Amino acid sequence: MDELKICYLYPDVLNLFSDSGNVTCMLKRLEWRGMKADVTEVPVGAKLNVNDYDLFFIGGGQDFENGVQISDFFGEKSKEIKKAVEDEKVFLAVCTGYQLLGNYYKATDGTQYDLSGAVNFHTIGTKDRFIGNYCFESEELSGLKIVGFENHAGKTYLSDGVKPLGKVLTGNGNNGEDMTEGARYKNVFASYAHGALLPKNPVLADKILATALERKYNKKFDLSPLDDTFELNANKYMVDRLLG
Amino acid sequence: MKLRAVIAIIACKITKFLIRVMKKGGTNFPGKIAVKICPSVLGVMARGVTTIIVTGTNGKTTTSRMIEQCLVEAGVSFFCNKSGANLLTGITNEFAQNSNIFGKCKKKYAVIECDEAAFRHVSKYVDAKYIVVTNIFRDQVDRFVELESTMSGIRAGIENSPNACIAINADCSLTTSLVKGVNNKIIYYGVDCPIYKDLVSEVSDAQYCINCKTEYNYEYKTYGHLGKYSCPECGYRRPDTEVFVTEVVSSDLDSTTVKLKISENEKLLRINLPGGYNVYNALSAAAVAKGMNLDEDKIITALSSFECGFGRMENFDIGGKNVRMILIKNPAGCNQVLNFLTNTVKEKCLFVTIVNDRISDGTDISWLWDANFEKLESLGDNLPMIYVGGARADDMANRLKYAGRSLDKIRVIKDDDELLEEIDKAKEDVFIMPTYSAMLSFREKISKRYNLKSYWEN
Repeated sequence: MDELKICYLYPDVLNLFSDSGNVTCMLKRLEWRGMKADVTEVPVGAKLNVNDYDLFFIGGGQDFENGVQISDFFGEKSKEIKKAVEDEKVFLAVCTGYQLLGNYYKATDGTQYDLSGAVNFHTIGTKDRFIGNYCFESEELSGLKIVGFENHAGKTYLSDGVKPLGKVLTGNGNNGEDMTEGARYKNVFASYAHGALLPKNPVLADKILATALERKYNKKFDLSPLDDTFELNANKYMVDRLLG
Repeated sequence: MKLRAVIAIIACKITKFLIRVMKKGGTNFPGKIAVKICPSVLGVMARGVTTIIVTGTNGKTTTSRMIEQCLVEAGVSFFCNKSGANLLTGITNEFAQNSNIFGKCKKKYAVIECDEAAFRHVSKYVDAKYIVVTNIFRDQVDRFVELESTMSGIRAGIENSPNACIAINADCSLTTSLVKGVNNKIIYYGVDCPIYKDLVSEVSDAQYCINCKTEYNYEYKTYGHLGKYSCPECGYRRPDTEVFVTEVVSSDLDSTTVKLKISENEKLLRINLPGGYNVYNALSAAAVAKGMNLDEDKIITALSSFECGFGRMENFDIGGKNVRMILIKNPAGCNQVLNFLTNTVKEKCLFVTIVNDRISDGTDISWLWDANFEKLESLGDNLPMIYVGGARADDMANRLKYAGRSLDKIRVIKDDDELLEEIDKAKEDVFIMPTYSAMLSFREKISKRYNLKSYWEN
């Protein structure tokens, strides 16, 4: 039976916005196709061996808890993650998890936190927050409209070699300035979108799963279609509401 | 007494009167006008009224109703802010309606439910004699941003209230941290034993010590992050309780029976509301009532005769069956409802969830993915169908699908009238779980159709 090993990083602290729905979603979509996933939670303080996993998930958290988590992230874990990204392991990173993959985060008080540098971008903290439902369009997925809920004070700026996950149609995305949302680099899928993101964007969910399966088994995977009525209705409802 | 305040009170009363004549349910608008005319008018009116403020994430409304029942038993004259008018404007309106035009209040006591974010503002004008903080959980994150800001708001409110006796939930490590270093009299209350045999698994809102960020040890948990916690590193721990439950004796769909200790003697109390979270609500009311030196037997009578609040486990008799409405508004509260239902439902029934995403509901519905709907499947054949309504019905239906429910056991009915029609037709008992704005509008529909009293006439 085809199987993915999923690493859920920091479920103990990066759990504010219910992004774990993404893990639930990936598990079910494999299960419905007769495949399997094995999820290992790697909390603060636990050792991470990236070779053990095919797919990594990191979600969003809040400031107090980031204090616990960021110190754990510096050093060993950070290096391991950079190695895994270069090794073309698949990542889904949302919000804070997304920011951790960048070069650094500059806080509003001027302090610069150097991060993993796994993906070439950086984030600048601001006093304002981008909050609300939003919609962006993926060129890679043939103009697929992706919906979610953004809630972030950091503005992210992509640098050389990194593409956005999509182009903002309504809302703010990475920084509210350049119409980009999220990041794509090797097999990294990063976004600010909560919601949870994958359950109402099943095409993106399947793209991530197929990428992980293809990398692992080194062959092409055409995932069998599922009855996605509820998923697509949830997507369509928000697309219609935002774009009219 | 400024003329401006008098004008504000008069304007408030007139607007309220007009709204009532026009049969509209707006509860905040008259207060808005009063605050606009004279921002400090609340301070004028609150002088001389013994005010009890109830704040915290979950259980404010029910706790307030329980305190009121205690005051009824004690024969004290009071007023309260009903139907969720718990911001500065709604509270100002409530005081104005209970004062003469010179701001002199007609009642001795006020029981005020206060939104966590509004507390710091309200406390500038109201010198509360009693404060209850029910608990702190992750609420609508898009409004409060994060727990820290909710907490600093409540802390500021407490600092504005040096004369208050404060009832604090000892089992909530976030709540107890709010009164660190204050000189107020504190009454800690808590549950000295586990409540449920079987807990839904859920994300903890406070896994790490608030002082030193070390993971807490728990002797037991009652639900969420509530329980007997202690930090192995810095020694921060659950404080000793003064009002507490020693044993949960029994629980069913209508009530929970506990052994309660308010003073020397332990008393048996049948709380006239089901669910573990209502054990906490009863405890917080008992703690405040103790602070007010109310007679212990009267407190027990009040809590056992208490009838439930607006949309919080409210019962309707519709077509010869029982329809219960239980508000859901955040993962902690929702998980409590799921704990209660899956531990208590023993017969076939119909569930209905109605999810909106207006400001009062929280515009981000991501939290549905943190609520453990998976647990519902343990009800098996007793839960053959769930109806799903509201603006975000598709998202809710999708959530239930990923929680393991088969598609033929989920029905999306977006139109409220059609949904009510289907509920009317059902033979089995019904549990409706709406978000806040859905609760208001659906309750209104039920009231109209079955001729129940409208909430602004309460």
